[in-house]
Amino acid sequence: MAAASSSDSDGGRAESSEANSKWLDAHYDPMANIHTFSACLALADLHGDGEYKLVVGDLGPGGQQPRLKVFKGPTVLSESPLPALPAAAATFLMEQHEPRTPALALASGPCVYVYKNLRPYFKFSLPDLPPNPLEQDLWNQAKEDRIDPLTLKEMLEGIREKAEVPLSVQSLRFLQLELRDMEAFVNQHKSKPIRRQTVITTMATLKKNLADEDAVSCLVLGTENKELLVLDPGAFTILAQMSLPSVPVFLEVSGQFDVEFRLAAACRNGNIYMLRRDSKRPKYCIELSAQPVGLVRVHKILVVGSNQDSLHGFTHKGKKLWTVPMPAAILTMNLLEQQSRGLQAVMAGLANGEVRIYHDKALLNVIRTPDAVTSLCFGRYGREDNTLIMTTRGGGLLIKILKRTAVFVEGGGEAGPPPAQAMKLNVPRKTRLYVDQTLREREAGTAMHRAFQADLYLLRLRAARAYVQALESSLSPVSATAREPLKLHAVVQGLGPTFKLTLHLQNVSAARPIVGLRVCFLYNEVLYALPRAFFKVPMLVPGLSYPLETFVESLSDKGISDIIKVLVLREGQSAPLLSAHINMPVSEGLAAA
Amino acid sequence: MGLLDRLSGLLGLKKKEVHVLCLGLDNSGKTTIINKLKPSNAQSQDIVPTIGFSIEKFKSSSLSFTVFDMSGQGRYRNLWEHYYKEGQAIIFVIDSSDRLRMVVAKEELDTLLNHPDIKHRRIPILFFANKMDLRDAVTSVKVSQLLCLENIKDKPWHICASDAIKGEGLQEGVDWLQDQIQAVKT
Ligand SMILES: Nc1nc2c(ncn2[C@@H]2O[C@H](COP(=O)(O)OP(=O)(O)O)[C@@H](O)[C@H]2O)c(=O)[nH]1
Ligand SMILES: [Mg+2]
Repeated sequence: MAAASSSDSDGGRAESSEANSKWLDAHYDPMANIHTFSACLALADLHGDGEYKLVVGDLGPGGQQPRLKVFKGPTVLSESPLPALPAAAATFLMEQHEPRTPALALASGPCVYVYKNLRPYFKFSLPDLPPNPLEQDLWNQAKEDRIDPLTLKEMLEGIREKAEVPLSVQSLRFLQLELRDMEAFVNQHKSKPIRRQTVITTMATLKKNLADEDAVSCLVLGTENKELLVLDPGAFTILAQMSLPSVPVFLEVSGQFDVEFRLAAACRNGNIYMLRRDSKRPKYCIELSAQPVGLVRVHKILVVGSNQDSLHGFTHKGKKLWTVPMPAAILTMNLLEQQSRGLQAVMAGLANGEVRIYHDKALLNVIRTPDAVTSLCFGRYGREDNTLIMTTRGGGLLIKILKRTAVFVEGGGEAGPPPAQAMKLNVPRKTRLYVDQTLREREAGTAMHRAFQADLYLLRLRAARAYVQALESSLSPVSATAREPLKLHAVVQGLGPTFKLTLHLQNVSAARPIVGLRVCFLYNEVLYALPRAFFKVPMLVPGLSYPLETFVESLSDKGISDIIKVLVLREGQSAPLLSAHINMPVSEGLAAA
Repeated sequence: MGLLDRLSGLLGLKKKEVHVLCLGLDNSGKTTIINKLKPSNAQSQDIVPTIGFSIEKFKSSSLSFTVFDMSGQGRYRNLWEHYYKEGQAIIFVIDSSDRLRMVVAKEELDTLLNHPDIKHRRIPILFFANKMDLRDAVTSVKVSQLLCLENIKDKPWHICASDAIKGEGLQEGVDWLQDQIQAVKT
């Protein structure tokens, strides 16, 4: 057992000591000679003995010697060479009946190699694609010796340039040859039919018809030919085929094949396409505007790592939820699932030698490793549930076990946006009416503005007209004539049937007194009686307010009230200087008996 | 006649029971060891497969054994810690062939030794470095190094390599425990 040489800490806080770390260092071998990525790691109880093994599709140093390695604890249990570089490894249950030991699938080149009990069991090959007819024709000519190798080479190169249908592997290999080897190659291969096959780029598993942890699963393959294939778990026939606009590189699958499922495929064009059970083509698309470097589904959220050093969260309909920047380039990603606590989080191995664990945007934990981690996976290994397996750029193997008492807590993270920012406001839903109105406003904005302006001018005009008319007929309590600037206001006192009506008349001119004014009351004589309906006003000295009192007798006992008009007149003129309407209150006292 | 009958008989503890806790990670071999120690007439009191953890209890003339797996993620820890108080001796079993989980066994041992009901008591601890017959097994010396047993200063302890299936090494351990309990009693 190697000495502990890595450490971890909760987000942001100073590096914690060994004692309060969340992880136990179970194993570290810097010379394990493993060169792989997360898609090629799998954990499973391959022998059905309760001891979980680690499967590694190893590229070999420099991608030269691809191998399938199986680890038990810290040591290699078995090792076998692979015919081509591995693309992905997965473990899955093929059938219901006992013993329920999972099979191992390893995707490599155009094939999936299936192992049971670690013995080769089945080899699935992708179906042949139709070859280029021109290419076929050339080889037919070569077969009948009607064409020499040099012309063949030129013609094939011509086809390759145009490349509507790519050349077969056979032709491509032929084009790589030196002149002297061509003849022999043609003689050896000319009688074979040419085959064109694509290769597998990614692989995942999809439950067949049960949601159980240990349910029979289908393999889902992504190919260089921009397709997704779903294979039958037992017969390895193609159950479904879907096409994509680009080459898939990462796959996330949820649901059950027979019921309903969702596929998310991150592609080389920087887009992530989402498909459902019945969609032959993508239903939603996320445009990353960067290259995806990892794709992990956490509950219902798709977390994508991009080559712009950040993690993005999306809903399964492609709506972006959040973005978290990383301090360094993301090398690999995988899911951390702590079943006993129902926690799912994303682990990201970074180029600066950190492994960061996030729950949504919240940083839960940072593990510092002696070398940058290029592949990682978390799960049951050996007999321990929460084991983290990491391999490093230099080929090292690191195994850590989560302490049984460890709890990941949110909020220990670095200074980020204040929590209030993430709080959702209770904005009421937009009604249909609101939406319609908004649309109408957007479309007919100018016309609406014009109509409003026209109405506003009309209103102003009417107001001005009414004002002029009021002035002309002296209907206002303020006289504006130059000679008699007067102000009038009236007060009614009492409960009835007798009221006291006081008129306050004021000369508002600066210095000139006013003489010769009369006051006249106009009223309904059935309802009211006034001792004097017409009287003389004394001389009005500028500035003073003259109270002119009179009694008003209400004659009706039916609770009726009316208006009494006050006119201020100049002697010898019939047009009043000013006028006022007095709204008489209802008489509350008993009518005069 | 099982080993235990001799143990309890020699001690002459017929009147008073001695409670022994047999602890260790799951799959370390506790049940196998206890079954070897158990006299043929001993009644397995109850094997309680409670959710989260299981306890095996049985009594022989004057010794009562409580066995449990120190597994799980903490939710039921306080349940088994409840038994610490009444324990008068501890047998801690380690699977010597499980290299990866040696750190977990150490972590569990450290937690046990720091528990308030254990920490300040001079309670004897017997370690079985079990499954020594397996090819992957490390020696008992290596196990005591990995578990840092030399740091236990205030409690008598002893480690034996054992093969519980064949019953090898168990006698040596039980003899040591017997001496310890007797020393405390007299
Ligand atoms: N080879 C070997 N296997 C053992 C030994 N002791 C126990 N086992 C096996 O280890 C497994 C777990 O033992 P068990 O007593 O149930 O462990 P427990 O979970 O601690 O009670 C069983 O398959 C035993 O047969 C031993 O000394 N050597
Ligand atoms: Mg047991």
